[in-house]
Amino acid sequence: MNGSEHILAAFHRHNISTVFGYPGGCIMPLYDALVDDVGVEHVLCRHEQACALAAEGYARASGKLGVCIATSGPGATNLITGVANAYMDSIPLLVITGQVPSALIGTDAFQETDILGMTLGIVKHSYLIDDADSLPEILEDAIAMAQSGRPGPVWIDIPKDMLLADVHTEAPAPIEPAQPECPDISPALAMLREAKRPLLYSGGGVSLAKAEDSFRAFADSSGLPGVVTLKGIGNAGRHNLNDLGMLGMHGSRAANRAVDECDLLLVVGARMDDRATGKLDGFAPNARTIHIDADAAEFNKLRPADIALRGDLNAILTAFTDALANQGLVIGDWQKQCRTWHTTGGFRAADNEEPLAPITGPAFVRQLSGIAGDDAIIACDVGQHQMWIAQYYQFNHPRQHLTSGGLGTMGFGLPAAIGAQFTDRNRTVINVTGDGSFMMNAQELATIRRYKLPLKLIVLDNQCLGMVRQQQELFYNNRESHINLDDNPDFVAMARAFDIPALHIERTDQIRRGIETILAYKGPMLLHVAISREENVWPIVKAGASNKDMIDEPRKTSSRKEQVA
Amino acid sequence: MTPSSEIASQSYTLNCRMSQEAAALERLCRVVRVRGFRISKMAMESAGDSLDVLLTLEGSRPVAMLQSQLEKLHTVTGVELMSGAVARSRTA
Repeated sequence: MNGSEHILAAFHRHNISTVFGYPGGCIMPLYDALVDDVGVEHVLCRHEQACALAAEGYARASGKLGVCIATSGPGATNLITGVANAYMDSIPLLVITGQVPSALIGTDAFQETDILGMTLGIVKHSYLIDDADSLPEILEDAIAMAQSGRPGPVWIDIPKDMLLADVHTEAPAPIEPAQPECPDISPALAMLREAKRPLLYSGGGVSLAKAEDSFRAFADSSGLPGVVTLKGIGNAGRHNLNDLGMLGMHGSRAANRAVDECDLLLVVGARMDDRATGKLDGFAPNARTIHIDADAAEFNKLRPADIALRGDLNAILTAFTDALANQGLVIGDWQKQCRTWHTTGGFRAADNEEPLAPITGPAFVRQLSGIAGDDAIIACDVGQHQMWIAQYYQFNHPRQHLTSGGLGTMGFGLPAAIGAQFTDRNRTVINVTGDGSFMMNAQELATIRRYKLPLKLIVLDNQCLGMVRQQQELFYNNRESHINLDDNPDFVAMARAFDIPALHIERTDQIRRGIETILAYKGPMLLHVAISREENVWPIVKAGASNKDMIDEPRKTSSRKEQVA
Repeated sequence: MTPSSEIASQSYTLNCRMSQEAAALERLCRVVRVRGFRISKMAMESAGDSLDVLLTLEGSRPVAMLQSQLEKLHTVTGVELMSGAVARSRTA
């Protein structure tokens, strides 16, 4: 077998059945091998960035490894944003690129880039193949590494001659990732029992460790009030009464208040991101910290941990649950206080009762959440709509919420939704996007058409870059700078050009019918939702300020009726 | 612990043992830079399949944070903070 055939053999060994890619000069030997391989479905996206983001959406929705493929030079550089996105959110990704033939490396050959050098900061690890016989072992290492410990992207750059060369070695046995021993939780348990106002602060690490069940068992048995990061949304499920929702810059007043008042922060799979903590000096100022994570480098990075527990989250959370089985925590007053805060300071969606009134983002998302069902996957982009989804959509599981957390990549949503749809063609997958983000990867409408994906697309169109406009309004003396998008194309006509039927709505009384129509339609459909340009995301904490200094929406006098999410 | 609490730059010496792989040294230097340290002196010696790199660094962030980030590199097999490494201190 040659190098290309060994790559496909590795895919088969690891049950990799779907890959996302775009062919070109130096990767052509691999594409030639794909012609004869019926066991691997290759999804042709229309831009390499979308290949990486679709692979990521596939990985996020399924918990499996995502795979993307591109050629050298521009193909490889186009992958970079998607791979950086995966790195920031710790998504397991195998990236395979063609490189110019070995003899031409370093000669500024056609479509040569030093992609290994360019991407050192956005990969868990990377390889440049200089010996075809090393390829089988490197493939095994890369596949194992991408998924083990704290997951992340691993990049293999393969010169064209290595793809064509006969390989004289066999793949080693698949690597079983070593599980770290469960650390002694006794000191942490004692600290937890001593606390009067303990708070559970969980993030994306829970689902990355596939520890959702262990987390819920612990959350239920401990009764701890909890806050979540953007990536932790859904950790506690839809019906946990102690879940106060998202904390941070656009978190709820209840969540941020609980963090401010707690005396113990039990951090599970979260990395104290600045969007979550606000000004660090003001974050949980009276709390001791127990930090549980798979990655030791997260301990003490931004906030000192009184106790750090490194290991498999499943094992650690189960140990806590077992330990609490005989004697629970005595935190009834604190639970009651947090629930009161949730009632008075949860996210408040203003439902406009006037049927002809313009649609607001929060009101739309609340209705979508009620109609789309417990199982739908929502892939959103970046901006105001992303925060409205985080605030008002009631997720039952973190893998239903595909969002670009760390990198904040506009254009993430559509390709991520495509990737998610490939995990299950029959599942409801909805891309909720804004007019700015939608245009960043709109070429992928062609991918939807090609593969006849039943994706639902919802464009919340405020004719501007809403989040930037909002910050310019609030923090830059309302000096609007290059946020105007009122020359957007006709999105309905644009969708139809790709054989995707589309609807336009703009009034409150059209929301339900619009959502129900696109969900009932058997194929892909786009719902274009005109919303007010002036709507802001509330509450908001100014970047660099303390979370307790959050700014609420100014009082409005209208017929709006507030509802707590 | 935080960047905002940085007040003084200190000098440290780290002994890093690495495997000989493509870009191993680049990866090491990149992490040092991104995590807020400056290399003031570097000595490298090849020993079979390994590289021993002695780094003298300056920075105002906790060196333990850098150490744990370097240990994450798959080319790094060990990082040792040399005892008595705080050579001098100055106000940033």
